[in-house]
Amino acid sequence: MALQSVDSNTRAAPAPHTDSTERELLERIARSKDQAAFRTLYGNYYQRLSRLLARMSVRREDIEEVVNDTFWVVWTKASEFRGASQLSTWIIGIAYRRALNALRRAKLRPVSDEPFDEDSVSVGSSEEEETNTQWLSLGLERLPVEQRMALELTYTLGHSCEEVAAILDCPVNTVKTRLFRARETLKQVLPELAGMSGEKS
Amino acid sequence: MSPRIPDTHAEAWALLPWLANGRIAPEDREWVEAHVQTCAECRAELAAQRMVASHVTREEADSPPQAGSDEQRSFNKLWARIEAAESASIPITGTGAAVGTTRSSRTVRWLAAAVVVQALGLGVLGMSLKNNGAMPASDDFRTRAQEEPRLNAPAVRIVFAPSASIDSVNTLLENQGLSIVAGPGSQGNFTAELSPDAVASGASAESVATVMKKDPNVTLAEPVQQ
Repeated sequence: MALQSVDSNTRAAPAPHTDSTERELLERIARSKDQAAFRTLYGNYYQRLSRLLARMSVRREDIEEVVNDTFWVVWTKASEFRGASQLSTWIIGIAYRRALNALRRAKLRPVSDEPFDEDSVSVGSSEEEETNTQWLSLGLERLPVEQRMALELTYTLGHSCEEVAAILDCPVNTVKTRLFRARETLKQVLPELAGMSGEKS
Repeated sequence: MSPRIPDTHAEAWALLPWLANGRIAPEDREWVEAHVQTCAECRAELAAQRMVASHVTREEADSPPQAGSDEQRSFNKLWARIEAAESASIPITGTGAAVGTTRSSRTVRWLAAAVVVQALGLGVLGMSLKNNGAMPASDDFRTRAQEEPRLNAPAVRIVFAPSASIDSVNTLLENQGLSIVAGPGSQGNFTAELSPDAVASGASAESVATVMKKDPNVTLAEPVQQ
């Protein structure tokens, strides 16, 4: 695996909608129950939340309900947002807690005790990168939802450690611990991540 | 007070995910980078985390987006829920709180507008069919849940904004050379055909839908695939 320089390959948090713009929308909702502002804010988050929830293993039929439950809270509690954190942190945090409830209702187990179905991974593929990708996908599916969320919020949504802690409503050190464990689990699945050479038997 | 410089392997190791995603705290960046330069284990781990980051980012990019119509349908459901809840909270006697009164008025206006738009659609549909000499027998007359009308010209599917007035809807349809031929559907959608004159002038379902989408009186506009 080629080592890249420390400064390369970094990226800023993907924040297509600025926090100040979204706060203006929230203020309009709080002040005058502005439907147009609410619709715009809903549109800003619909895709982002839907994808994140799908990756949390929330059932497809429950995703719309979780998104709408989240924005129900946004509509009814808009005036209570105090701005101590970014608006996105508040909204994604609501969605996360609603998603946990949905997962409990669905009695889904985020971690499987079953061994990996190694036959499902084309170890014999000539494309090593593709094989690694498949193993990584399996590893991600194996993570408990709290660890998966910490990892997704960090890498997919590009949040800082402090922002992830605010969304998950836990101490910063807990976020670090969850990611540490997630990293260890992924290394068990894909030894290349631990700097080992490649046999996966 | 000078900044704390932990410079320990364990602390740097814990922060590598945020060095990988570029969101490490400014006060930590310098010492973590310095540690990584001298620690082969952390350099390998940083590369590994960049591989993971790249993988999950690619998965995200590859996942199919929800259709725009899904988003609108979901929002419509949420909005109906909000309206229902707020209507239910309206005081029966007239001494309720100001907020309740405001919401009540807005709810009534919204519902009234929706009914007017629906009535307008039915009226235009009736006139259109009558003018074409094609008024169906009563047993065949369907509006809601009509799946796809038989189309004779390029057409667009439209959902009007709840606040749209009769005049604004009429003006909009007239300006675009549209005649409603079906609706309202279960989602409050209407189907409107382009007039021969509009087609002759170069208008298409796609171009009209693009214009309609930008109008504040329209919530959704899309070309109907024939």
